[in-house]
Amino acid sequence: MSNIIRRIGQTVVILLGVALLIFIMLRIIPGNAIVTMMGEHANAEAIERMTAELGLDQPFYVQFWRYITGVFSGDLGTSYSLNRPVGELIATSFPNTARLAIAAALFAWVLGIVCGIIAAVRKNGILDHLFMGVSLLGVSVPVFMVAMVLQYLLAYKLDLFPISSGNAGAIGYVLPAIALGWNSAGSIARLTRSTLAEVLQEDYIDTARAKGLRRLPVITRHALRNAVLPVITMMAVQLSSLLSGAVICETVFSINGIGRLAVQAIEGRDIPLLQGTILFSTALVILGNLVADCLYSLLDPRIRKEV
Amino acid sequence: MKKLMALLLALMMTLSLVACGGGESEGSADAPASNVEAGLLRVAALYDITTMDVAQTTDNYMVPMNIFDRLFEVEVQKDGSTEIVGSLCESYSVSDDGLTYTFKLRDGVVFSNGSGLEASDVQYTFERLLTAGGVNDDIPLEVLGAEELKSGAADTLAGFKVTSDVDFSITLAAPNAGFIAELTGPAMSIVDRETMAEVQNFGIACEDTIGTGPYKITEWVVNDHYTLEYNDKYWGEAPSVKKMVVSIIPDASTQNLMYQNGELDILDLEYLDSAIVESTYKTAYADRIISGSRVGLTYLAMNANHEYLSDVKVRKAVQMAVDVDTIVASVYAGDAIVENGIIPTGVWGHNDQLQRPAYSVENAKKLLADAGYAEGEVKFELAMDSSSSSNTQLVYQLIQQQLKDAGILVEIKPYDESSWLDLRKSGEMDAFIANWTMDYNDPANIMYTFYGSAEKTKLRSLNYADEEIMARVAAASGITDDAERMAEYQALEKKIVEEDAAWVPLLGNMHLFALGERVESFVPYWAGYSNFYAKDVQLG
Repeated sequence: MSNIIRRIGQTVVILLGVALLIFIMLRIIPGNAIVTMMGEHANAEAIERMTAELGLDQPFYVQFWRYITGVFSGDLGTSYSLNRPVGELIATSFPNTARLAIAAALFAWVLGIVCGIIAAVRKNGILDHLFMGVSLLGVSVPVFMVAMVLQYLLAYKLDLFPISSGNAGAIGYVLPAIALGWNSAGSIARLTRSTLAEVLQEDYIDTARAKGLRRLPVITRHALRNAVLPVITMMAVQLSSLLSGAVICETVFSINGIGRLAVQAIEGRDIPLLQGTILFSTALVILGNLVADCLYSLLDPRIRKEV
Repeated sequence: MKKLMALLLALMMTLSLVACGGGESEGSADAPASNVEAGLLRVAALYDITTMDVAQTTDNYMVPMNIFDRLFEVEVQKDGSTEIVGSLCESYSVSDDGLTYTFKLRDGVVFSNGSGLEASDVQYTFERLLTAGGVNDDIPLEVLGAEELKSGAADTLAGFKVTSDVDFSITLAAPNAGFIAELTGPAMSIVDRETMAEVQNFGIACEDTIGTGPYKITEWVVNDHYTLEYNDKYWGEAPSVKKMVVSIIPDASTQNLMYQNGELDILDLEYLDSAIVESTYKTAYADRIISGSRVGLTYLAMNANHEYLSDVKVRKAVQMAVDVDTIVASVYAGDAIVENGIIPTGVWGHNDQLQRPAYSVENAKKLLADAGYAEGEVKFELAMDSSSSSNTQLVYQLIQQQLKDAGILVEIKPYDESSWLDLRKSGEMDAFIANWTMDYNDPANIMYTFYGSAEKTKLRSLNYADEEIMARVAAASGITDDAERMAEYQALEKKIVEEDAAWVPLLGNMHLFALGERVESFVPYWAGYSNFYAKDVQLG
């Protein structure tokens, strides 16, 4: 219980730190939220009036206190540019990002782990070279390139998938998920291969085989279980990152997700929206790490006590 | 192992599809052309609108233009010329002193919620623009008593008198011959007083957006799409387009593929790479392209407070060193016209006799030498809004090269839109290239906006210094004799561009659209906006 309380305390401190950091940064970078919001015609008087209305003429600490008390009462503020509650905008966008991230993660993990296992088992064989070559391509080719090639070939030329995912339902997420997961799959495959290949050299693997166990149970029950810990860490980091928004994929395939919302906030210097999206993403990353720690303890009894 | 791999791959795809369990298609822009419902128009926009309230925006006009009506509209004639015609206003007259306008509303017009249009709705519209704390109060501010209402010293607009349900008069604080033209702008969309009285946050809820126009908005999913549907209470002729879905497609390349795949009925080519327009659209789709004149111009603004640009000889050298013909030919492939002044082609009062200094690198160098500047001594920053279209960015690069040939060193510095606007409005930007598209067809719209006061020239980092000229610009709209007013504007324009070399007029480009097979005809908005009237689209 004390561990859980400690982790929650750490989370709150990190979120407060992030909120403060964003607050400071948004006031350092050039550009004025009110000028951008009011546009071409607004004169100095109108800008001044709106600045006062939104309380942006108040001292920094007053603004920050008002914001942070709002956050703790569940109010992330109202977007300057979209004139809607930030919480509502995030709630609308996040399910789309979550669908994309989960689909991409599943694609990446299953493909990456399977290829990694085969490569490790067939170390230095044809499949090993093939998979590792392809995985190198996976980690090297940028997401936008994969996205555009898939969109052009599979959606436009072959008409197998919709070009824009916006209102296309489940089928619309297949290409973005592959494009987004391609890179992660490469990393997972390479890590799985190296850690599993190392574990397969251990004496207890030979002992298990000598006891008469078949090859597959040895790999899945003995080798993989020990090799998978660093892979899980990478998976957790990847999922957190994917859930924070995939700007390029969301843009190319017209998915209304968190990433596009954040870019929109940056372009418009929409302070409440940007603070909201960054805080939300930070919380996701922290949650991702927490889940990874819990999984560690489930898989490795030695860690359980520490966590 | 093969079986295991096949099983895992199948599982992976199944789980992926389950995880992606989003909503099904709502028949927007993703159905093949043959299956599209009759009367549906599918278009795309790079960015979503942020509001439907004209009091809060100067460019999110797609919804207001189609939902609301104005008292007057600009109608594009078959020969391409434009004419101001009555819309909600049936007739009007002007007093001899040019101050009081008496209007009669069209009879029998109702809002989409069924309530009748009355003169009090027009009065409410004017008063709201002044009191809503928005950005579009320039036009109502001309009405007598507007300042008092805006400041809270008065409760009503003194110059606005309602005499019956359909009759009213507006008295201006000073004569303005361009007043009727101003009333055609989307900013002057007439709203329903009764509905507005009950609305807290107008501009974001579809059910609150009640107008007399041909459409009503039925759905708006932020950053995804919005849908307009025919308003069966519309007073005018029923349009061919019964429903329009505007999908937010933030990538121009995706829009391009969607159009070629038959998923879009109109494609705005403005933000598409010019190489694609030339290689694909002007060949394979040549018969599907239509062009609307963008009534406005691209210009190079120079800050008169800058160390070097404060010298009129340097500004004139810049004018001479820029070869606009080459820009028109190489960047726009001829789809643009050279502009020589401030009042663009197509605007009342445009002077087609105005001459620009002949392009001459040698003369520009000589002028700089005469002014005492060594080659390479004159330097300034050309601030670029990084969200500018690819063509505008090419114009930046060409001008940088052309000025370098004349010994003027220019650094192109990209800024994001927010920083660019902030710097420009501070009056500290050295120079920049931008486009201006007319809001209404009167020279005051550009002359007054850019050179009407010291504050206005500072907002555009021009910092024009001649106060007498600025006072004349501000007073010109009050000249009631058309010929005299035109002569005054043209004299002022000549002084600012030729004598003072305050800016470099560049070009007016055509706005190209590609029409899908389902579209029989389309008339772009007279000023060449990306926004358009859906009623001006005829489906086949």
